[in-house]
Amino acid sequence: MGEARIAPPEDAGSDPISGSALGHQPESLLAFMKLYGTLWSHGILDHSTKEMARIRNARTVDCGF
Amino acid sequence: MTWLPETAPGANPLERVFALRPNLFEAWRDFALIFWEKRLLDPVLLELVRLRVAQLHEARFPLASRRPEALAAGLDEAKIAQLDCWWRSSAFTETECACLRFAEQFVLDAKGMSDEQARPVIDALGEKGTVALVEALAIFDGFGRFCRMLGIEPEGTHG
Repeated sequence: MGEARIAPPEDAGSDPISGSALGHQPESLLAFMKLYGTLWSHGILDHSTKEMARIRNARTVDCGF
Repeated sequence: MTWLPETAPGANPLERVFALRPNLFEAWRDFALIFWEKRLLDPVLLELVRLRVAQLHEARFPLASRRPEALAAGLDEAKIAQLDCWWRSSAFTETECACLRFAEQFVLDAKGMSDEQARPVIDALGEKGTVALVEALAIFDGFGRFCRMLGIEPEGTHG
């Protein structure tokens, strides 16, 4: 993996998501986190299936994040 | 309208499918709308990439709609009609061309994105704008796939 094309904001903190480049857009980040949280915590699909799909997708697009 | 055996009450084909998971639908809608409501990007640019992504997926449901924010900002059907061959048209600005090229690469092969494709977008939109564009592309791309996978078509059309 090469260097990130967009560095995180200087005050982004150490959280792996909010401390990433996503921190440049705090309003959309908040909305994304709500969606992501709903997907993982309030869904009807079992977690192992979702995690398998997540990892498979990350591998397909070669995303090490 | 969809091959799903079960649908929910709703005003259009999307609602009748997505409302099967109402909490997810609400959270997705809030996320998707924020780019328009908070004007995180120029609405004409955003609508052009939204429609181009839908074209690449041949997703007729998103292709059938127009965002009012973009129309109010001056986007017209004559320009939209040239979107499927934007690279041959003089109707698109340099920034729009860079973002359309970026959007196509995002959909077709994100890991193949080159610095030569990304740099003009970052130069034009800045870091904040580029993050907004990539997030919006993720929504548009996912939504196009969602509509294709679940057979969500505009009213009055058949698969």
